[in-house]
Amino acid sequence: MSRQAAIERIDSYLSDGGFLDDLARRVAIHTESQEDSQIGELHRYLDDEMEPYLKDLGFNCVKFENPVDGGGPFLIATRHEGDDLQTVLSYGHGDVVRGYDDQWNEGLSPWEIVKEGDRWYGRGTADNKGQHTINIAAMKAVLEERGSLGFNVKILIETGEERGSPGLREFCRAEADKLKADVLVASDGPRLSPARPTIFMGSRGVFNFTMRLNMREGGHHSGNWGGLLANPGVILTHAISSIVSPKGEVLVEGLRPPGPIPNSVRAAITNLEIDGGEGAPEIDPNWGEPGFTAGEKVFGWNTFEVLAFTTGTPNKPVNAVPPTAEAVCHIRFVPPTDPNGFLPAVREHLDANGFSMVELSPDRECLNATRLDPDHPWAKWVVASLEETSGNKIDVLPNLGGSLPNDAFSEILGLPTIWVPHSYASCSQHAPNEHILESVSQNALQIMTGLWWDMGAGNTPR
Amino acid sequence: MTRAAAIEKALSYFDDGGYLAELGPRIAIPTESQNPDRLPVLRDYLEQEMIPAFEAMGHDCQVFENPDSSGGPVLLASRIEDPSYPTVLGYGHGDVIRGQKGRWKNDRDPWTIEQDGDRIYGRGTADNKGQHILNMAAMRHVLETRGSLGFNSKFMIEMGEENGSAGLHQIVSENPNAFAADVFIASDGPRISPDTPTIFLGARGAKNFDLVVDLREGGHHSGNWGGLLANPGIILAQALTTIVGPTGELLVKELLPPPISNSVREALSGITIDAGENGPEIDPDWGAPGLTSAERVYAWNIFEILTLTTGNPGNPVNAVPPRARAHCQFRFVAGTNSEEALDILRRHLDDHGFDQVKIEPPPSGNAINFKATRTPLDDPWAVWVKGAIERTKGSPPALLPSLGGSICNDIFTDILGLPSIWIPHSYGACSQHAPNEHILLSEFRDAIEVMTGVYWDLGEDGTPS
Repeated sequence: MSRQAAIERIDSYLSDGGFLDDLARRVAIHTESQEDSQIGELHRYLDDEMEPYLKDLGFNCVKFENPVDGGGPFLIATRHEGDDLQTVLSYGHGDVVRGYDDQWNEGLSPWEIVKEGDRWYGRGTADNKGQHTINIAAMKAVLEERGSLGFNVKILIETGEERGSPGLREFCRAEADKLKADVLVASDGPRLSPARPTIFMGSRGVFNFTMRLNMREGGHHSGNWGGLLANPGVILTHAISSIVSPKGEVLVEGLRPPGPIPNSVRAAITNLEIDGGEGAPEIDPNWGEPGFTAGEKVFGWNTFEVLAFTTGTPNKPVNAVPPTAEAVCHIRFVPPTDPNGFLPAVREHLDANGFSMVELSPDRECLNATRLDPDHPWAKWVVASLEETSGNKIDVLPNLGGSLPNDAFSEILGLPTIWVPHSYASCSQHAPNEHILESVSQNALQIMTGLWWDMGAGNTPR
Repeated sequence: MTRAAAIEKALSYFDDGGYLAELGPRIAIPTESQNPDRLPVLRDYLEQEMIPAFEAMGHDCQVFENPDSSGGPVLLASRIEDPSYPTVLGYGHGDVIRGQKGRWKNDRDPWTIEQDGDRIYGRGTADNKGQHILNMAAMRHVLETRGSLGFNSKFMIEMGEENGSAGLHQIVSENPNAFAADVFIASDGPRISPDTPTIFLGARGAKNFDLVVDLREGGHHSGNWGGLLANPGIILAQALTTIVGPTGELLVKELLPPPISNSVREALSGITIDAGENGPEIDPDWGAPGLTSAERVYAWNIFEILTLTTGNPGNPVNAVPPRARAHCQFRFVAGTNSEEALDILRRHLDDHGFDQVKIEPPPSGNAINFKATRTPLDDPWAVWVKGAIERTKGSPPALLPSLGGSICNDIFTDILGLPSIWIPHSYGACSQHAPNEHILLSEFRDAIEVMTGVYWDLGEDGTPS
């Protein structure tokens, strides 16, 4: 009975085909939460797959309806070993984005796993079925080796992450007692580099809004009216250009973080090497906040993007001054930026620069920024465990560049949050040909087994 | 047999519904020249409507096939009464822009004329079917009243004006004798206001092109990549702001025309731009600073963004978009260094650090490229037409050095060497390139009076020799 023996067990799970079997069954369930018609599949994922599997591991499972109409169900699976033991909350989501069945490469299907070299293709392999399958299997290996986990576990599986986690916050607030824990350890998103484990402890927030100009009804002939009628496309390009520089620097004070990057955060991210893996886009070194490293730009600062812009009728252009222009923009932001200040700051900036005719409206729900200090005891403890298993240094991100509903755990449940992602940047997670790398998955199974082993070994932070 | 009788007959024809009866079936032919599927329809307009109408007026009809496979045929109808008479070349275009069906108010069908008070709706009513049909009717009433025209008429109908008059330059260049004349008199575009007869002597040029920033394949998750990958929408917006100012001022000095001459400034001094009822409200602070509205439209250059797209506007995703494209237009008056406009723009973009912004050809459906032209304000024919209109209306028409819009006028001025006199019948708020295109009955009634008088006087003594 040893840590090493548990890791050998999980190696066999992969080599004997156990991981492939478990994941293939789960990928085969069409849990497309963006399609209302697939609500039955969301239930099936919890009823037929998660519950039986977790019950076998001694979990007590309770399914909850979503407090929000149309939202998918939640599952809380609990294994309680002792009142004086640490309690870990883990999380996964069983839903996936749309399959886009006909856009996958020849020979691939979103709903079955196809192996090609190191790649395992299938919808949800990376996001997120593969990741929670790894974590639960690693718990099983520890349980089989040790006879018990040595800690208490609560696993929350939601089925609506890909449509913005409807009801997740209300649910966490309402069931805070059932979800009470000492730490969140969960997996989603990509590693910084496929070759090394990564942990992140929060995520940048995201705030979407639309800038719109509606000058008049209808287009007007540009020969008769050009020079007399204000062109909303021209005005909007100027408005945008006053907010963000030609190199992507955010120019409006209220959209920037309120202070410099904290030293502990800077120390963790400054020298991070960003490696998207094969097929990743080439980084533009002169883009973004001047003087910052790539790591600082993505993990330590706020960015402003134009996601979409339209004026006129691009598909069928005519020679007319267009009547309207619209830009969908967003801000990714790090703590402690307050997103409530964004729209007022943009409004004030536009008014001061003569763009009062530009209308602003917030789009979807804002995801808040969250972050845990890299010096937090739980962060250091997890890093030590993962480094022991993998034998070398790991990447530590105070927060992910992307956005997660992590505030449900960090703010509503008040937990330190540690995420151990098992995917990599070029996994095509929201596109056709989603896949994981077998080599990364093997390493992920090992480090999670080591982590759960250490969690029950009695030397966790208190 | 008098001038007054001819005008009287033309007005009765108009008031008795004769004009709308001719207009309706011609609007019903969907001659969208920007739509390749409509190529056969372009020929139908000539064969079913124009040729019979001109033949009934004693014109010989010749159809020139278009050397450009994307263009429709060109009709030349000629009635030569006497080689010693002056020969007048007329012009119209039978093609229209896209119907934009579904975007018209009250779900109107663009291909069915419909009256609402003083307005007659339908695609091509203003641009240009309604205008050349009116001129043909005016000429017919002169012919019927006098028994002859008293001048030689050549009338060209092309079918590709809205798509840049593809092939027309070549056809005219290769057949200079067929199109030879003494003066060019035709109708297109708007009057300065519905109740002010207007003459313009040239047209602004126009060149469409695209500015494109194409950085990479596909979008990339803005959380993982935002801040690391250049955003093409931001770069393109910034590049455009160096070309045109926040109030529409063209900022590239080399793309501006020479200073406005005194004679042009004087001609425009009394002219105010009146869009008519329901016209758009002019933005007084837009455009070149220090110029009057008339000078901005008839005597200056402008840069427009016609369309701009980045990302997926219908269904935005949180990704750094891979490319951005702006479909742009440069309008310019005679005297501008327009031949080098794109080279000037290239240098300008490079000088401002925007070498990532590429200049590309415009989409073929909206690829206009017109030269700027201008007949002198004191040209004898210009003075003569002005007098002919004054004889009918009792006061002189407004005289513009140039139309704000663009037409293939260089074919007449440069290739055929003619003075070009345009007598427009539409008005500014006619929505001619948008849904809800329409004309005003009251204005067109006035126009048939004007044109009948002009055609009558062309057959009298006193024309410039």
